[in-house]
Amino acid sequence: MASTGTTLLNRGRTAAVVRDATTESGWVRALLITVALTFLALFLFVPLVSVFVEAFRNGIHAYLHAISTPDAWAAIKLTLLVAAIAVPLNTVFGVAAAWSIAKYQFPGRSLLLTLVDLPFAISPVISGLIYVLVFGLQGWFGQWLDDHDIKIIFAVPGIVLATIFVTFPFVARELIPLMETQGNDAEYAALTLGANGWQTFWRVTLPNIKWGLFYGVILCNARAMGEFGAVSVVSGHIRGLTNTLPLHIETLYNDYNLQGSFACASLLVMLALVTLALKTFIEWRHARNHAAEADSH
Amino acid sequence: MSIHAVNIRKTFGRYVALENLELKVPTGALVALLGPSGSGKTTLLRIMAGLEYPDADSGGTVNFHGQDVTNTPPGERGVGFVFQHYALFRHLNVFENVAFGLKVRRKNRPPKKEIAERVNKLLEMVRLPGLGHRFPHQLSGGQRQRVALARALATEPKVLLLDEPFGALDAKVRKELRRWLLDFQEHVHLTTVFVTHDQEEALELADEVVVMNNARIEQIGPPQEVYDKPATPFVFEFLGNVNRLELTSLQNPTHQTGRPDGTVTYVRPQDIELSRHPSPDSVQVVVHHVFAAGPWARVQVVVNHTGEWLDVELSRETLTLLQPTHGQLVHARFRHSRIFGAPPPTAPHPTPHPTPPAPS
Repeated sequence: MASTGTTLLNRGRTAAVVRDATTESGWVRALLITVALTFLALFLFVPLVSVFVEAFRNGIHAYLHAISTPDAWAAIKLTLLVAAIAVPLNTVFGVAAAWSIAKYQFPGRSLLLTLVDLPFAISPVISGLIYVLVFGLQGWFGQWLDDHDIKIIFAVPGIVLATIFVTFPFVARELIPLMETQGNDAEYAALTLGANGWQTFWRVTLPNIKWGLFYGVILCNARAMGEFGAVSVVSGHIRGLTNTLPLHIETLYNDYNLQGSFACASLLVMLALVTLALKTFIEWRHARNHAAEADSH
Repeated sequence: MSIHAVNIRKTFGRYVALENLELKVPTGALVALLGPSGSGKTTLLRIMAGLEYPDADSGGTVNFHGQDVTNTPPGERGVGFVFQHYALFRHLNVFENVAFGLKVRRKNRPPKKEIAERVNKLLEMVRLPGLGHRFPHQLSGGQRQRVALARALATEPKVLLLDEPFGALDAKVRKELRRWLLDFQEHVHLTTVFVTHDQEEALELADEVVVMNNARIEQIGPPQEVYDKPATPFVFEFLGNVNRLELTSLQNPTHQTGRPDGTVTYVRPQDIELSRHPSPDSVQVVVHHVFAAGPWARVQVVVNHTGEWLDVELSRETLTLLQPTHGQLVHARFRHSRIFGAPPPTAPHPTPHPTPPAPS
């Protein structure tokens, strides 16, 4: 290991502090780490721990009761259903959008790229409101839907639509830079070898993007299950029918049922922890593959 | 299978990559597309492969053995393509990479056993026996390129196209693979076209060299012809070292005026003779610097009346006989030279040209 810096001051101090010129001194490092950890502790650790503390305040039976009431159960099932529809759809949309943006040049490409990022730029409340404006009773299609007795707003379809909108960018944003970096050579090679478009996608493109895809899907799922703002506007908060888990938690809290709301909240926290664990696993695997490839150069 | 590309024009927006060319590649020939970056050689190769298409309104066609394949997709043209950066499938091992072309066939897919036999034979041919289970990231650059070659040959193409195949490799590996390619050609006689910017590679390997510059073909011919009889100033300057004279007139060697006459004279360093004695067609030059180390000696001289510089290449024996010293007046005779009319406005200078000394 080469030490590139020595602080031998001009005044002839012989005690040389041999230190690598590119790192900070010991106390600066300690200070930065302390600040970061304090920040994390205050804004992350303490709130998360307090969720579990509150959830189990009245003992484990109360906890189990709170998460198995009919309303809670309905909320959990609805959350799972919404995620089960939104995540696969967004995966397909995301892959298609990333593929066209990364592999082709076409008029409107920049526009598509901007549209992909749009849900991130809009406040979730507005995301929900736009669906009310389009499909609600006073909305554009409101009369037509009412005539045909189709319920979108204040019903499950509305919740699914709002969730799809809000979680759309995750898979696409993950894949676009990945596919752009990987370039097109492998696909061209597959074409010259006689593969058709579908075979090329399935056998060459997909395996190359699998870790990025997995990562995007996990994030998409976490957001789909935890979305509050947009779903809140669209759902109507009908207990047992149109309450997703986050909405149910708010309902319990507004009823001053602190222990119950925290008990349900702990489920979402556990989802978050599982998401983080999977994310870390993927990054570790990806780094390992990368190191193996880099080593061989 | 011969290739005949006619009326090929390719533009990307406003950028003209190929300016209406025609090229014939005879069956079994090994042809080099040689030129600097941006000359259009890779675009031409990709059009032959079907990875790009000529401009729709140009009427350009690509024919393989008389059959028009301009609108045939690359997978159906029977070409094998090798990329500069290998383009191996990272998630597949070597065996699967080479077998890919055979496994994706929808009609006439060979049985598993036959695929395995063919793959192993190919791996032996590219001198990578037994490495089938390895993954691309476990191989060196030279090995990866050999896998890419085996993969391209697995489908028994009629035409082999290589895009700067050895450009990303170090010098020793490059030499090995060049030798392999020559060897392969001698046994198999597969119509092969390769793109390179390395003139040594083109002159060493090719039966025919196609020199390209700025979206056009400058000259086509066997290596000896392009080197000894360049058709244009560009070819002269691109292949080998060359001296370029604008102020010195070889029509009147002993009476130099030092004024440009609209012509450019090219002469190669090894075609200049130096001697202490004048001759009827020699020019007076002053010795400036002598580089004596190496297999050849180089002497830098300045033409006396015009101030233009010349690089002269001499054998070591000649140098010993001549014993030139700095400032000495000697006489230069040109064995071969070429005079071209008014020089092109933007002629590239791959050979570094020393600027004339400031007047003292």
